[in-house]
Amino acid sequence: MSSEPIERRVSYLGDRLKSSRCGLCKKEYFEVRDYCGDCGRKSFGKMESIDLFYEKGKLELCTLVTEPTNKFMKLENYVYGIVSFHEGKIRVPGRLTDQIVKDGETVDFSSLEGREVVPRFRRRYSVGRSDVVPTISLAFTLADEYYPHQEYKVVQPSKEYDTPGIVGYAFYTSRFRIREGSLERSVPFIDEDAVTAAVESGKLALIHSGVDSALVGKIYVGSESNPYAVKPIASKVAQVLKLGEEDGDTQGVDAVDTEFACKAATSMFKDAASLVNYSKSDIKYAMVIGADNSQAAPRGCPGGELDAFVGYGGSAFIFGKHDVLAEIEGWYSVTSDTPDFWRRDGEPFPMHGGRFTGDPAYFKHVRKAATKLMEKLNVQAGDVDYFVTHQPNPQFPVKIANELGFKDEQYAASLQINKFGNTYSGCSPVGLASVLDIAKPEERILMVSYGSGAGSDAYLLRTTSQIVDKRHRQKLSVKYQAENPFVEFVDYTTYRRLKLGM
Amino acid sequence: MIFAIQEGKKIMQNRPAIVAVGRTKFGEHYGKEPEKLIEEAWLTASRECDLERRDLEACYLSDCFLPITNKLGLEEGFLSELTELHVPMEVTRSVSAALLTACHAIRAGVYNTVLVGGIEKMTDRWDKIRDDLMLLEDPWSYYAGGTPEANHELLLRAYINKYGITGENLERLNVALAQVSVKNHANAAKNEYAHFRRKITVGQVLNARKAARKSLGLYDFAPISDGASALILTSEERARKMTDKPIYVLDCSSATDYLNFTARDDLTHFTATKIAAKNASKMAGVAPSDMQIVEVYDQSTVMEMVSLEDLGFCEPGTAWKSIYESRPEEKGYYEINGRRVFVNANGGLKADGNPLGATGGAQILEIFKQLRGEAGERQVDLGQGTLRYGCTSEFEGFGTKAYVTIFGRE
Repeated sequence: MSSEPIERRVSYLGDRLKSSRCGLCKKEYFEVRDYCGDCGRKSFGKMESIDLFYEKGKLELCTLVTEPTNKFMKLENYVYGIVSFHEGKIRVPGRLTDQIVKDGETVDFSSLEGREVVPRFRRRYSVGRSDVVPTISLAFTLADEYYPHQEYKVVQPSKEYDTPGIVGYAFYTSRFRIREGSLERSVPFIDEDAVTAAVESGKLALIHSGVDSALVGKIYVGSESNPYAVKPIASKVAQVLKLGEEDGDTQGVDAVDTEFACKAATSMFKDAASLVNYSKSDIKYAMVIGADNSQAAPRGCPGGELDAFVGYGGSAFIFGKHDVLAEIEGWYSVTSDTPDFWRRDGEPFPMHGGRFTGDPAYFKHVRKAATKLMEKLNVQAGDVDYFVTHQPNPQFPVKIANELGFKDEQYAASLQINKFGNTYSGCSPVGLASVLDIAKPEERILMVSYGSGAGSDAYLLRTTSQIVDKRHRQKLSVKYQAENPFVEFVDYTTYRRLKLGM
Repeated sequence: MIFAIQEGKKIMQNRPAIVAVGRTKFGEHYGKEPEKLIEEAWLTASRECDLERRDLEACYLSDCFLPITNKLGLEEGFLSELTELHVPMEVTRSVSAALLTACHAIRAGVYNTVLVGGIEKMTDRWDKIRDDLMLLEDPWSYYAGGTPEANHELLLRAYINKYGITGENLERLNVALAQVSVKNHANAAKNEYAHFRRKITVGQVLNARKAARKSLGLYDFAPISDGASALILTSEERARKMTDKPIYVLDCSSATDYLNFTARDDLTHFTATKIAAKNASKMAGVAPSDMQIVEVYDQSTVMEMVSLEDLGFCEPGTAWKSIYESRPEEKGYYEINGRRVFVNANGGLKADGNPLGATGGAQILEIFKQLRGEAGERQVDLGQGTLRYGCTSEFEGFGTKAYVTIFGRE
């Protein structure tokens, strides 16, 4: 797409699959319509806006595309067809994503036709390096596979808490993995990136929380792999998830991206919690997302040592004071100017300080933030049920946990590095999500993030009874994604190809 | 202008007539500029009826992609330069559309002699033309990853599902579609202007599908071509002075459908063709299904099959049976209701070629030659009776605009 206004319009309609329904005859149309073709003039002003973004569709017909148009070349082979919604009232074109169809492999179309599919927010197609990144939700996956359909239902909150905290959360990663030794790492599909992971995790967090997206007044997205040097991920998330009050094509929400290596998201937890707690603010909820397609140079190149540990995924947390599932009891942050990992502007891959990233960087900051917070709140290691920290490799978190006096049963549940790799900004958050997935009410969680550059945020959380009440809305839990039978393992070459994206 | 009252209706007597046609070979014209192609087509046509360019009162030119493929906007200007004419000129996207507009002008008595032409130079943008085509035809499908071929494939699957074609019948349908391609290639072998002048076999068509892992393969689809076509359209009165065998345009009708194929009510047929065919037969007094020769828009073999139904030759869901039982790959025609029906005698888009903006001109040329009995090796043999009428059916996009034009001789 060479025209930015066209790109804006296609994304505006296609990202949410905006559609219209005639208020008189109930006929439905894909795209926004001011009037109904059947009812004519009398339907002006009576068209209802409906989105298909949270709906479940049906793959009516499909075929295989083996010779795509130029912009889809990097997808190689894919299934493409017609998807219907609302018992066939609306039909849209769509492709199945998250599928690798090898050259020469045949696809049984009749085994796919008639099956339920879920719209997925993805990159639309390839463009030049200086172009706007096009997105669309006319990409679908089968509802009975990795990504199940979940209804988004707004739930009226039942209780207001004195202390703000987490009211909903989610972790999202793709269904692809690479396995090397005992380490499994998540690999994005070729049409995924930090933006799509941010949107998908935000969508799942809204579903989990039951919070009305119109009440989310602030969105922070922390990432170090934004496809843009300038243009926020948060604005895309705000528009696609309709955060804040919708007025025409703008959203009444404040959206901002943050950057501090792997703690870009966790740093904002306290800001989000403080914001919803400010008496003069009318912001009821604030969302924080950490999402990364963790970057690493190929093996054998400078910075290539990171390639053995990088993952892909996004974690989203919604903060508020209503129906809180984990209250924030306190926090402590430390920062020092420590260049242990960095990426210069314009460079595709980060560089790494080698041994310097250990003692003077990771351990020093995590240790300090954790001990300071425990001192401040007068908490001993034994008083905490779960310890969560940043996981750049399998050894570091275990070493620091032991040093701080935590036992295996306190930190084992949070270790996700072996399943998803280091998801950078989403890394300590996925640890937190995995603990929240299993925690009982009135349990205490100590989370200490780490971001190179360098700093750590330590938080002490206490779960409430809501954590159990909301669990049924979390189909795509961390464990579900880690142990999903539809996970597909790819080889190293495929992993690099998928990771570099469209 | 003479008006007559017929059954209470005003009928204008200025019947438009074609007096001459011309075209270039379709295919890859690597070394020829677009203007050379249209010049070649025009010269053939003008020579045929001994017409000078200054005799033209207006020009109707069609092209789909010249502004994109050859960076030629305002095509009227370059045609004016080429012809040194300053007459009115209009650009449409298909020859049928150009002819329709020209016919209106002739009927209304505005002009007596006009040029209708078409030109396309798609291979100049070989590497990007499929993206252009798809974006033009159906933007949302393009954004979702669709290809021009995928829509044909989906239409075929919808057809098979709707009419419950399974087992042996499905095999027959697959063979029938292959027969369409084989027949068209055989016809093109006799057409000196055709893009592909070689015969193929049913086996080749089927193998190409196997290689593509789909119901349709390489031999089911029309190619991308360069080419130009031209015809001279005059009023009936003028035509009689210029030739003793004018071919009259009895009517041309057009209809439209949604851009987005997936949103259409009917995924198995082209509603626009059905409407255009109905309207054209009303005006012409003969229906396309009365014809024994038609040129249909076979961007794919499926399109030819479905067109037989849309034009009324076969009941919906049965054309494949008629095709299969006709053995057209041997005979060159379909046998429908005991009559021979010749479809795409020039080889169709499949083998004659498909330079979008010029394609309709090749269809009209074929009907023109056949009705005048000048088609040479390709001249159809009806077995019994004489050829009086012919019909063309053309699309813009994937059934988004349909044109049905009915021609007749004296």
